Amino acid sequence: MIMDRRDIEKLTSIVGRGNILTDKEERICYAYDATNQLHLPGAVLFPASATEISRIMTLANRQGFPVTPRGAGSGFTGGSLPVEGGVVVSLERMNRILEIDEENLLAVVEPGVVNGDLQMAVERLGLFYPPDPSSMKFCTIGGNIAECAGGPRAVKYGVTRDYVLGLEVVLPDGGIVDTGVATIKGVVGYDLTRLFVGSEGTLGIVTRATLKLLPLPEAFNTMMVTFKDVVDGAKAVSAIIRSGVVPTAVEIIDGVSIGCVKDGAATGIPDGVDAILLIELDGDRGSIDRDAASVKDLCLENNGLDIKIASSKKEVKALWRLRRALSPSLARIKPNKLNEDVVVPRSKIPDLLSGVRDVSEDKGLMIPCFGHAGDGNIHVNVMYDARDKGETERAWEAVKAVFELVVRLGGTISGEHGVGTAKAPYISMELKPPVINVMKDIKDLFDPKGILNPGKIFQCHRGGSDEGP
Amino acid sequence: MKVLKELVQELDRCVRCGTCRGVCPTFGVILREAASARGKVSLAKSYVDGDIALSRTFIRHISECVLCGACEEVCANDVPVPDIIIAARGEKVRSEGLPFTASAVMKGLNRPHTFMSLALRVASKFQPALFKKVPKESGMRRRFPVPLVDKDRLVPPLAGKFMLDTLKKSGKVERGVFVSRSRDSKVRVGFFAGCLTNYISPNIGIASIEVLNRVGADVFVPLKQVCCGMPALGMGDVKDAKSLALRNLDAFEGLDLDFITTSCATCGEALKRRFKDLLLDAGDPATGRRVEEYCGKVRDINALLVNELGIGDIIPAAAGDESRKVATYHDPCHLRRSQGIKEEPRELLEMAGLRIKEMNHPCRCCGLGGSFNLTHYGFSMEIGKKKAEDIDSTGAEIAATACPGCILQIKDGLHHVGSTVKVVHVIELLAGRLRGGEGMNSG
Ligand SMILES: Cc1cc2nc3c(=O)[nH]c(=O)nc-3n(C[C@H](O)[C@H](O)[C@H](O)COP(=O)(O)OP(=O)(O)OC[C@H]3O[C@@H](n4cnc5c(N)ncnc54)[C@H](O)[C@@H]3O)c2cc1C
Ligand code: SF4
Ligand code: SF4
Repeated sequence: MIMDRRDIEKLTSIVGRGNILTDKEERICYAYDATNQLHLPGAVLFPASATEISRIMTLANRQGFPVTPRGAGSGFTGGSLPVEGGVVVSLERMNRILEIDEENLLAVVEPGVVNGDLQMAVERLGLFYPPDPSSMKFCTIGGNIAECAGGPRAVKYGVTRDYVLGLEVVLPDGGIVDTGVATIKGVVGYDLTRLFVGSEGTLGIVTRATLKLLPLPEAFNTMMVTFKDVVDGAKAVSAIIRSGVVPTAVEIIDGVSIGCVKDGAATGIPDGVDAILLIELDGDRGSIDRDAASVKDLCLENNGLDIKIASSKKEVKALWRLRRALSPSLARIKPNKLNEDVVVPRSKIPDLLSGVRDVSEDKGLMIPCFGHAGDGNIHVNVMYDARDKGETERAWEAVKAVFELVVRLGGTISGEHGVGTAKAPYISMELKPPVINVMKDIKDLFDPKGILNPGKIFQCHRGGSDEGP
Repeated sequence: MKVLKELVQELDRCVRCGTCRGVCPTFGVILREAASARGKVSLAKSYVDGDIALSRTFIRHISECVLCGACEEVCANDVPVPDIIIAARGEKVRSEGLPFTASAVMKGLNRPHTFMSLALRVASKFQPALFKKVPKESGMRRRFPVPLVDKDRLVPPLAGKFMLDTLKKSGKVERGVFVSRSRDSKVRVGFFAGCLTNYISPNIGIASIEVLNRVGADVFVPLKQVCCGMPALGMGDVKDAKSLALRNLDAFEGLDLDFITTSCATCGEALKRRFKDLLLDAGDPATGRRVEEYCGKVRDINALLVNELGIGDIIPAAAGDESRKVATYHDPCHLRRSQGIKEEPRELLEMAGLRIKEMNHPCRCCGLGGSFNLTHYGFSMEIGKKKAEDIDSTGAEIAATACPGCILQIKDGLHHVGSTVKVVHVIELLAGRLRGGEGMNSG
C-alpha cells in the first residue's frame, strides 16, 4: 500500500522531520526480521513518547492505514513485518531505563531498551532480570513482551510473562491505558497485563513496562556434558528434572546442530558426539556443589560421555556463545529453514526427538534440533532449499508431521517465538474453533478496523486460512 | 579484491538474524537499522539485485561503517561485512571517482613519502596559525574555530621532524635504505613506518627500531616505502590501493629480510592480508609469488618481539610488584580481530613494568575508522567517548594500545570527557623501560 502524501505530512508533524523515513533505501532496512522475508512499509516512524504514538494511532484509525510496531526486528515469526504495508513504528528511540527501584525490586523501562542492557544495568546493582532469550544482546524488552520471550533460564525462573507487573499501552484507537500494578499481588479486574503479554503487537503498543526483579544469585555453575546418542541426552534431562534438582537452564544440542557450530568455530568437541547438554545451576555455593554432584551422577547413569565444568567466567561465556551462535549458523546446511519452537511435556522429550528423527528420515531432510530441554521447548529446524520445489514441499510436510507429533504428545506448537505470519496456518491444529473465535472477538474489540499489525496470528499471508494448510 | 557483484554468495549468507546489531558501533550511535551491519548488507543486496540505485542515501549508509569487523566476528554465518562495505564503496569510486580532496591526497600518497613530506612541510609552516595549544600532556592541539570543524576537536600536530626524513639525514643510509644494526645481529627485519608514524608520531617508529635492535634484529627501513593503502581501500579506491601495494613490494625487495614488521595495527592488516586480496587475483603469477612471499614475512611488532625474537628471555615480566603503575590496554580492531593478536601486547606491557587493569569492552572500536573520523566526526567521537569512558573508569594512569591511529582517536575522546589519562603505544613504554626510564616517552 502506498502512503498518501497528506498522511505522510501529518505523520511528519507528529514525530518531527528527522524521525520519519520514506526513502526506499530506508524502508528496505525495516522490511525484514529474522525470518528473512521482505515486506516494504510505506514509511518508518521513530516516535519518542506514548503521546506521539497515540496521535499516530488516532490518525491511522481515521485514515485506515496499517501500523506495525517493531523492536529490533529479531523475531522468528514475522511479527514486525508490515505485510499489508502502512507504517512501521520503530520503538528504537524509546530506549531509556526510567527507574531501577532497589528497595521494591522493580525496573521501569521504555520498550526499546535492549534486554542485555537491562540485565547489565540491574546486575551492577546486585539484581537480576531472568528472561534471557538467546537474542538478548540485541532484542528489545518491547519485543520480548509482545512475544512473551523465554530463554534457557525459563526452567527455573519462567518467561517474560512472569516478570511483567504493569504496562502502559497505546490502544489501536489512540487511547493510552495503564494496566497492572507495581506490586507483587493485584487482582482488581481482569488481568489485562497478561493479555497484552504475548499478543504480538496486535492489541496495543507497549510504551512503558514495570518489571519484576530478583536478587542476583550468589553463584553460577555451568557444565557441558556430551552423549553418543541424543535420546540418552534427553533421558538425562528427564532424570535431572525428576530428581528434584532445579537447574537454572538445561539446553540440549543435537548432532546435526553440533556439526554446524563445529564448522564455524573451534569448539573442541570430539567426533562421535550426538548430543550436548549445557546445564547451569545457580544459588549459594553449598547448594550448587551438591546439585552439581547429583547432576553429574545422573548424566553418567544415562551414558554421558564427558563432563566439563566451566572454571572461569570466560569459559562460561564461551559455552553460551556456542549455544547462541547455533540458530543463525544452521544456514550452513541449507539456505532456508522452517524454524519451529515446539514444546512438549518434559518427560516426552525423548519421544519428540526420536519422532523428529523418523520424520527427518521419512522426508529425506536434515532437521537439526536444539533448545531449552529443561522446559520441554525444543527448536526444530527443517532445513531446505527454496529453489528446489520438491524439497520445499517436503519441508512443509515435515513441519506438519512434527506439529501432529507435538499435539499428540500433549504439547504446543510455539513456546516463545509466537505465531506471527509463520505459524498462522497452523493454529487450528492446536486451538479449537471456539477458542479461536474468542481470540478474534478480543482482537475486534480492541481494533475493530484491523489496523494494528494486521495479518498476524489469524491470517496467513501465504494465502492459507485459519483452517490449516 | 572482489567487486560487489562477485560477493552475491556472501550477501546471501546473511539470514537477517540481527546479531550484529548488538556489536556494531555505528549502529550504537546512529540507532538506525541502515547504519547496522545487517542494514548495510541488506542495502548492498538490494543494490546488486537492481532494486535500488547507487543513490545518495545508499552511499551515505555504506559510509557509516568503521570497518571494525565486530559484526563479522559475531556472525554465525561468516558474512564478511567489511569486505562488502569496501566493495560497495568501490562501486561509487568506479562510477563517480573520488571526491576532489580525497583524490588529491591519494595522488600525494602514491608518491614516496618525501613528496608528501614536502607538501606537508609547507602546510606545517602554517601550523602555529591553525593550531592552538591545549594541555601539553595530551600532545594534541585544538584547532581555532574553523567553519565546519568542531572547535573542540583535537587535531594532531605534524611532527617537528618526520620519521623518514630524520632517518634519511642520519648518515646510516645504504642504497636508499636506512640500516640500524644490532650489537648481536640475529635476524634481518624490515620496518614499515606507515603514514601516522611517519608524519605524526615518529617516536613510535624510533622506539620500535630501538627495541628491535636490542633483541638482536638488524633493522632496515626502505626510504622508498609509501602509504600502506588502507585509507584508499577504506574509501573503496582499489586502484590506488593496488598501486601503493606494488610500490611497497618493490621497496622491500632484495634486502634478504627474515621479517617485515610495523607498529601500526592498520598497516599490519594491509601488509599481511590486504596486499594479497589486492594483488593475488591480478592474474600475474610472478606478482603472486612476490606478494605471497612478502605477506608471509609480515608480523605485527608485538607478535614479532614475543613469538619470534624471544624478548621474554631478555626482559622478563615484572610480575608481582603491586606498586607498579597501572595501565589499561585497548585492543585495536585491526590487531585483535584482523590479526588475532591480543596476548602479546599485554605481555609486553608487563615487561615494560606495568600492571594491567582491563577496561570494559577492551576490543570495542575507538571509532576512528580511517576516513570515517573525517567524514562523520560527530558519530566518530560519540563512539570515541564510549571508549574514553571505559578507559577512564578503570582508574589507570596510562592507556596503552598498539596503533598510532587509535592513539590519536583515544586522546581526542579522553579530551572530550575531560580525562587526563595518558595514551601511549606499547612499544614506547617498552623502549622507555629498556632505556632505564620509567617507561614513558611521549610528548
Ligand atoms: C539468534 C536469535 C535467537 C533467538 N532466541 C530466542 C530465544 O531464546 N527465546 C525467544 O523467546 N526468542 C528468541 N528469538 C526471537 C526474538 O529475538 C524474540 O521474539 C524477541 O522477543 C523479539 O524482540 P524484538 O525486539 O526483535 O522484536 P521484533 O522482532 O521487532 O518484534 C516482535 C513482535 O513484537 C511486536 N512489538 C515489538 N515492540 C513492541 C511494542 N513496544 N509494543 C507492542 N508490540 C511490539 C512486533 O510487532 C512483533 O509482532 C531469537 C531470535 C534470534 C534472531
Ligand atoms: S549477524 Fe550475520 S547473518 Fe546475522 S544479520 Fe548480521 S550479517 Fe546477517
Ligand atoms: S565493520 Fe564495524 S562498523 Fe562496520 S558494519 Fe561491521 S560492526 Fe558495524
